[in-house]
Amino acid sequence: MRLEVKDIHKSFGGKEVLHGISFSVESGSALGLLGRNGAGKTTTIRILMDVFKADKGEVLLDGKKFRPGEYRIGYLPEERGLYPKKKVGEQIAYLAQLRGMGTKESKESMRRWLARLEVSEYENRLLETLSKGNQQKVQLAQTLVCDPQIIILDEPFSGLDPVNSQVLEDVIQEEIQKGKLVIFSSHQMGYVEEFCKDIIIINKGTTVLSGDLKNIKREFGNNRLILSVNDMEHEELHRNADQKWGSLVSVYGHNKEQLILEMKPDVKKEMILSALAKSGLDVERFGDYQPSLNDIFVQVAED
Amino acid sequence: MKKFLTVLKFEIGNYFKNKSFLLTTVGLTLLMVGVVIVPTFFMGGSKKADAGEDTKNTLAFFDEKGYLGNPKEFEQLLPQYDWLNCSEERELKEAVKSEKAEAGFIVQGETKYTYVVENRSMMDNIQESFESGMLKSYRMKTLTEQGIDAGIVESLYEKPLQSDTMILGKDSAKNYTYTYVLVFVMYFFVLLYGQMIATSITSEKSNRAIEILVTSANSNSLIFGKVVAGAVCSLFQGGLILGAGVASYRMVRSAWNNRLDFLFDIPLNAWLAFILFGILGYLLYAFLFGMLGALVSKTEDISKSATPVTIIYIVAFFVAIFGMNTPDSVLMKAASFIPFTASNSMFIRVAMGSVTAAEVVISVLILAASCGIVGFLAAKIFRFGTLMYGNPIKFSVALKKIREK
Repeated sequence: MRLEVKDIHKSFGGKEVLHGISFSVESGSALGLLGRNGAGKTTTIRILMDVFKADKGEVLLDGKKFRPGEYRIGYLPEERGLYPKKKVGEQIAYLAQLRGMGTKESKESMRRWLARLEVSEYENRLLETLSKGNQQKVQLAQTLVCDPQIIILDEPFSGLDPVNSQVLEDVIQEEIQKGKLVIFSSHQMGYVEEFCKDIIIINKGTTVLSGDLKNIKREFGNNRLILSVNDMEHEELHRNADQKWGSLVSVYGHNKEQLILEMKPDVKKEMILSALAKSGLDVERFGDYQPSLNDIFVQVAED
Repeated sequence: MKKFLTVLKFEIGNYFKNKSFLLTTVGLTLLMVGVVIVPTFFMGGSKKADAGEDTKNTLAFFDEKGYLGNPKEFEQLLPQYDWLNCSEERELKEAVKSEKAEAGFIVQGETKYTYVVENRSMMDNIQESFESGMLKSYRMKTLTEQGIDAGIVESLYEKPLQSDTMILGKDSAKNYTYTYVLVFVMYFFVLLYGQMIATSITSEKSNRAIEILVTSANSNSLIFGKVVAGAVCSLFQGGLILGAGVASYRMVRSAWNNRLDFLFDIPLNAWLAFILFGILGYLLYAFLFGMLGALVSKTEDISKSATPVTIIYIVAFFVAIFGMNTPDSVLMKAASFIPFTASNSMFIRVAMGSVTAAEVVISVLILAASCGIVGFLAAKIFRFGTLMYGNPIKFSVALKKIREK
């Protein structure tokens, strides 16, 4: 399956909040939907699920208009939502039934997923009596109980301790291997890097970056090097670089105490290496710049 | 359709799993049956009519100058009371104070007296009775002095008339009580369930369950499921309690000597009207309450936002109560076609007044159409309002936004 979102525009009360969002996801892989708070991620998701209608643009599945009602979709909203004063098992079964499962089927699936997420013991407990982490797991069970073909997860790891995070990681990997279509939205870049093949970064309603994550990282790291020197702070190093090696590099930025240098055209790494050796500086670290998703995000999504 | 049924099943289940719902239903049913049946255990045997065997009230009178004539003759004029002839004003006042006498009369002239009573109650016909006696005594005395046979004159005044009543339509007097009670029952159920629906919707907003719900089923199924579930459960609850009352009365009717007929002997057409108009009225207000629930984010804000609808309903209720005294008045006729007041008014007209089948049909159609329109509006506002958080959304703003879409 291939889900395509094409040029979505949306306004609320005269103010346009989405100015043409486009991306695509394929089953068997995950898309990282990233953006700052208020960028428009949740609105995009809601349009995807036909909660809102886009003013312009379309959503296609395998080339045809996407009708959410015809597919089983698992949605984990960022604002967790379930009935606090109802029993865990009951409401999960109900939500499965609302998504098209039969009564018996929904109960079986509910038990299966509670077991998979290691919260079976809470089946007959009221949701509000569970700890936050367990409530989170219950919410996950709710998302996956209808064995969805399309899974949308918004901040799934928030509130989970390291052990539970591992459980969830395994579950998500499983679903991806099973060929499901996964859209993953999170601020925890570490997880995004792990699961997602493609990413899209939305800022203020526009796409600022999208594509294959590996390629993006390579592009951002292309021609760039990191340098850090013992007992020298990056401002001083920055001045040094400008003064002494201005013909070879320009300073692109810095990452904590590491300076990020961009090689000028036709400059090779060896040339810089020899310049460093000649400088007599006590080099701590020198090498290719391999930006983390966090670095990339901060760079493109800064005001 | 399937989703609607799923929501319906769930919402009905919610009601039945609610402990207070179950307790009140069972409790009230048992209470109803108890109130009807238990007293009959203490009534067994006596089939004699009670009239005349009630204890008589005692009245005191102080006639110093003898204006009433012979005290014994006067007492016989009003045999429904026991009389205490006092020789002093003080004695009379003490008798009234100590409750030996219900009230007292100080006679100060042939046509003048003072009525002495401890606390004057609202329905006091003792004074009236005394006056008729005093007047009779005066008449007899004066006529006799004139040489006219007082007895003949009195018999002319007191000639009993024979009468038969032929009620072509309804006996309003007979139907008044149960109609009154049923109007109250309708009022109570609409407000109770209306509030529950609004609260249910708002709490789904505040605990964010709505985020999942709105992506699992369309908003029409969600709101109609809630409203219809309320209808089903209110029918069940009301039907059980009232039905239990009527059924148990049927069983022990003879033991009650038919005395509670005015309350429990409800004809079929009144029941049908009650159910039909009850449901339609309920739906109308339930959708309104549902709309309110969707426009508000916190359950605390519901009562504030619900004020307009509650006021409309209370006004409708009072129109009905006042109209009950004159079921065929223009007010009632008009009210039975206005959707907000129709459910109460039409029911009253069917039970107590005269109304043609055509009028009933027209009123039903108007009500049903209004329910449809309000339901449609409610679904749209529900869809729109359930994802908006923050301060309560004004109804006019909501309408504008829907039209924009």
